[in-house]
Amino acid sequence: MFGSSGLRAHAEDMKLEVQLIWGTNDDQSPDKNHQPVDPDIKKRLKELPLKWSNYFLVNRKRFDVPPSATKREPLSEKCSIEVKNLGNDSIEVTQFGKGQQVWKGTQSLPKGKILFLGGKAPNETSWLVILKRIE
Amino acid sequence: MMDHDEQLKIQAYLDGELSETEAREVAIWLAQDQDAGVLLAELRNTRQGLAGYEQPVQLPESREFFWSKIEREILRQESPQTAPQIVPWWIAWRRLLMPVGGTAALVLAALIAGGLLGGSGRPAMETAAADTGALTYRDDDGGNTLVWLSYPAENEFAESQPASTLQ
Repeated sequence: MFGSSGLRAHAEDMKLEVQLIWGTNDDQSPDKNHQPVDPDIKKRLKELPLKWSNYFLVNRKRFDVPPSATKREPLSEKCSIEVKNLGNDSIEVTQFGKGQQVWKGTQSLPKGKILFLGGKAPNETSWLVILKRIE
Repeated sequence: MMDHDEQLKIQAYLDGELSETEAREVAIWLAQDQDAGVLLAELRNTRQGLAGYEQPVQLPESREFFWSKIEREILRQESPQTAPQIVPWWIAWRRLLMPVGGTAALVLAALIAGGLLGGSGRPAMETAAADTGALTYRDDDGGNTLVWLSYPAENEFAESQPASTLQ
């Protein structure tokens, strides 16, 4: 009995991928560790009202969030994201910058839907945090 | 960060209220300013959403009778106050519950019209934003939601990193 309930709880874990992206009009990033974003993400970005022509992947992480649990994932030295699994494909997202809460909201995130959080960066560039449901 | 007048200018542009010259100037500005472009997209999206959900309101009485009730209520409130009368408890309760019931009916109607009840299938977004300048753009068909924050990365990255990279 306990084993089956444990399996059921595990099956309800939300599998997420978060990416930190840098948007620029330059063809190449000065940081050699930066990679071009995945084609599907690039296609999604082109559908948004954003002006940048190129986007580079700075960091990518995958993590699971059990029902009612909260996970915080650092994306850079000063940027992190916290996700709470509210159940029914809904999450509560909190964005942190330099340890301070920058934004918080709830979002329906079924598989195939993507949440983009973004803002301006130096020299007319941009930063984006992309939250994607894997399973 | 745009000021209120600039936001109104974008709304006027969207509503087609600007002169040809002004509209041309705003179009150039929108093409150059990221925040302005996002706001225009959000306003357009909101207008489309409202148009899709807008329900015609049918009054149970004629317009003249509806407004005459309001007029009578205003006149009643402006008339000199009479000495308080003792009313039976059931009448007092009815007076108390009628406006509450009316308010509840209006709230319920608004929820249904807004697609919040009955499962419209549209993804919901509620922002309890620490960043009150955040703009939200939703593309339900494409499955994309963009939240554009006024939080600048300059503060985060410029101090210890080259200006042209995030980290």
